[in-house]
Amino acid sequence: MTRGGARMLAGIATLAASFMVSAAGSAAQEEEAAIPGVSLGFVFEGERIPPIAIRPFAGGGPASEIASIIATDLDYSDRFFVRDSLPAGVDTDGIQYSLWDQYGVDWLLTGSVESEDGVAFLAVELHDIVFTSIRSRARFPIPPRGHEGFRLAVHRVSDAVVEWVHGEPGMAASRIVFSMRPFGNPDSKELYVVDSDGEGLRRATWDDDLAVTPAWAPDGMHIAYTSYKSGLPRIYEMNLVDGSERTVEGGAADGQQFSPAYHPDGDRIAFWTLEGGGTKGISTYNIRDGCCLTRLIGGYYQNIQPSYSRDGSKLVFLSNRLGSQTPQIYVMPGEGGDAELLSPYRYGQGGYFADPDWSPTADKVAFAGGIVDRRVYNQYHIFVRDIETPDNRIVRLTSEGNNEDPSWAPDGRHLVFAGARSYGYGVFVVDTATGRTRLLVAGVRAADTDWSPRLSWRGDGVATGGTGLEPEPGDSR
Amino acid sequence: MSNSRLILAACATVLLATACRPDPPPPDPMPPTGPTAEELERMRQDSIRAAEEAARLERERMEREAEAARERAAAAARRTLMETVYFDYDEAAIRPDTEERLRAKLEILRDNPGVSMRMEGHADERGTSEYNFALGNDRAESVIRFLTGFGLDMGRFSSVSYGEERPVAQGSTEGAWAQNRRVEFVITAGGNNLGR
Repeated sequence: MTRGGARMLAGIATLAASFMVSAAGSAAQEEEAAIPGVSLGFVFEGERIPPIAIRPFAGGGPASEIASIIATDLDYSDRFFVRDSLPAGVDTDGIQYSLWDQYGVDWLLTGSVESEDGVAFLAVELHDIVFTSIRSRARFPIPPRGHEGFRLAVHRVSDAVVEWVHGEPGMAASRIVFSMRPFGNPDSKELYVVDSDGEGLRRATWDDDLAVTPAWAPDGMHIAYTSYKSGLPRIYEMNLVDGSERTVEGGAADGQQFSPAYHPDGDRIAFWTLEGGGTKGISTYNIRDGCCLTRLIGGYYQNIQPSYSRDGSKLVFLSNRLGSQTPQIYVMPGEGGDAELLSPYRYGQGGYFADPDWSPTADKVAFAGGIVDRRVYNQYHIFVRDIETPDNRIVRLTSEGNNEDPSWAPDGRHLVFAGARSYGYGVFVVDTATGRTRLLVAGVRAADTDWSPRLSWRGDGVATGGTGLEPEPGDSR
Repeated sequence: MSNSRLILAACATVLLATACRPDPPPPDPMPPTGPTAEELERMRQDSIRAAEEAARLERERMEREAEAARERAAAAARRTLMETVYFDYDEAAIRPDTEERLRAKLEILRDNPGVSMRMEGHADERGTSEYNFALGNDRAESVIRFLTGFGLDMGRFSSVSYGEERPVAQGSTEGAWAQNRRVEFVITAGGNNLGR
């Protein structure tokens, strides 16, 4: 049988994980069984992961480093199985499809670094070994190695390769913002940014106080977050390119503002406030025009942590209206209105569900929580509820420790979350399709993870200043 | 009875012996040697000054002690006002021990209408960090509601929540958690003239 046939069968065959949590311990099993709608832990779709080889790039200079970055990206995309040891006597000129076929890969990526008028380009070709043809080829401008746009430009190439094979781009050219305790200052938290592959960790705030609950704007150039630097928790939007700052005007003078979430239009943010006299709820504000503070939902109970659906028509949020110790997740229209329960709740049983985040590509909501025994710690897990399936299927993605703050990658497939393990805190990435999990960065009290939209370097590979977080034209997230 | 008769007899003997002694010679006549009128006046002034000085020192001592007592009372009042109160897991309800502490604060706040306070709500590390911001504030608001329920002006109080970000006790034990589920009190105005 040809591997072409094998690839076509791949959609039917289930080679990947389809394992259940029943063997993972009785405590977890009891907890699972107690959640209505959650069948049993991990049940992942079968998916054949096509093998790919990357031939050493020609052109010298940064070529080998570029190939290495791309290899890691393709591995982290969870869309390819990257063969990292190449056969001896690998061809360097021309493609011997039969040789690569024998080697057992479906795809081969070749490339070379070229220079044109002082600007470096990476020319890559993706070869379909099964059909012995070139699937795609393209040239990408690459800033010089060591330039802060270098890695981002290479990540764009990786995302293009994913798109050539799978029809939708990867998430390598993106970053994650989160809060973490800076070294030597136990009373403060600052925001940090790290690339999707765990490289380039850097600090984004110097508030010398609590900086928490960041959200990345759809344009990739702003981060809104809550800082205590004025004495009260207030929302600030920082411009990553010019360093300017905006605030929410017109609210109560004593108002505490938390957890901004951008509307897909990029102009409005939803957030929750606490004001004197017990006034609280979710409000919206046009941070671009600086106007139109509007209360969407208020009341006696807490209504917090808003997150917009991908078209902005709905808002998912957390409320403790069923009582303390049972915060649950609800959905309401994006402009406010009646709320429906989304998290799995059974009367009299309790349960604690929080941190909802709506996928940028589908009607799926990730959240954290679980049926919680008050005497037990480390019982919060990451779940995804697929609203598109008839049975509102829920999948659990973590099996150990305490897990919070899931946030979707721009590919709508990976999630980043903050996890506490017996060995420490960290930011983790999980592939919701296979359950594969990796530690992105370890950090003291890391929390409040938020994944950026797809990012690109400004200009044609030439330094343009700023942080280079220019949105991809036509990027919808 | 026979004892008292014996004592009377002894006394009579002593009286007789005394009466038999001859008279002493009269003293030599002496010129009067008392203080002059000026001396008397000076002494009078001195005694007045001494009395006044003593009275002043006593007054100052009493004032110092009264001030110390006032300061002790103010310090005690401040301690009472700033005494942290605690809560049950994921609850903002006022426990009996918390109510006792709040009632003590209530007395002082009534006697000192110039005092304003900020309630700082905290949560233990369990639960998600963001929900704990809401929970910490629920606790601060619960304390404010308790106090304003007794007629205190809402305008004297403000709240801020630090969620689980500022623990006083480290570690993942019930002992540490119990200390971290709390509301702390900061006097924001009128703290210098606390009295009863």
